[in-house]
Amino acid sequence: MEDASPDDTWKKWFQLYGPKLLLCARQWTRSVADAEDVVQEAFVRFWRHQRTLPGEPMALLVTSVRRAAFDLARRETRRTAREDRAMADADDHVPIFDAAMDGDERRDAIEAALRRLPIEQREVLVLKIWGELTFDEIARQLDIPPNTAASRHRYALAALRRELSAADCHG
Amino acid sequence: MDDELSQLEAELKRLRPAAPTRDFLARIECELSTPSAAPVAAPVVRRPAPLWWLWAAVLPAAAALAVIGTVAVRHRLPSVAKAATASPTLATVAPSPDTPPTSRESAAAFKPVAAENVLYAAQDEGLVTLDDGTPARRERLNYVDTITWKNPRTNALVRWTVPREEVRVVPVKFQ
Repeated sequence: MEDASPDDTWKKWFQLYGPKLLLCARQWTRSVADAEDVVQEAFVRFWRHQRTLPGEPMALLVTSVRRAAFDLARRETRRTAREDRAMADADDHVPIFDAAMDGDERRDAIEAALRRLPIEQREVLVLKIWGELTFDEIARQLDIPPNTAASRHRYALAALRRELSAADCHG
Repeated sequence: MDDELSQLEAELKRLRPAAPTRDFLARIECELSTPSAAPVAAPVVRRPAPLWWLWAAVLPAAAALAVIGTVAVRHRLPSVAKAATASPTLATVAPSPDTPPTSRESAAAFKPVAAENVLYAAQDEGLVTLDDGTPARRERLNYVDTITWKNPRTNALVRWTVPREEVRVVPVKFQ
């Protein structure tokens, strides 16, 4: 880490964690632009002041992203419902995942099913699968018991399976 | 968890979240290249801190103290005069609302973001007669003042809470 220039170091680091953080941020923000803003705020703070702290950086960053997202939401309460709907519609076309080996159709089906999940289940699923947090860490993030986090994860997977099976049946 | 769900979970894990755009990376690069001490380092559009809040809370308290001081000096009311002479000492010890109670070096990073004073007791002590014979009503008010500073870079909060007793002497006019 010390061998690389500071510039290269943060880019390498961000290549690894940035996409995961953006995906987590999108669960708590109203648009991709807002998600980028909160990730930028959290990451820059982390890189300047917190990266030497002990502990798992992803958990710290997810906490930071979530707080920044809530702060942003409080500041932006004056935004109208119509603007929110317009942004949400525009964001429906922004892919959540990179193109996978299995092909775009399957990826699109998973993305569509994910978007339809209740937010409580989706945020747990995203934090577990792509945020790579443990149920204990998720429970602390969301202020819920670990068992609730685990059951929401299970419900989310079951709901996804139902959605994807239905999509397969309809061709 | 059954096998099907485990397979689905494994499939989801293989999906990689979309990579950040070049524009986004450029924004981060630009911000990281800005010296961190500069106040312009705020990453997203931030509205100014709601300082009017602070002034709305602090100014009435300061005005009340000034009135008490003036009345005490003019009428030489013993108990209030004592309080008035004691207050400058208190003022020099207590941090001012614009200065967080930390070292001077880190103080620059903190900004006052909220102030509140809660009135938890009020006692009307009735009519008193001042030295010059003027009738006045004396009220004793007890507050808890809380002022919060925040470091926008680290999100660290400093909260200062102190009890405050205020004695008001209001001249009474009989029509």
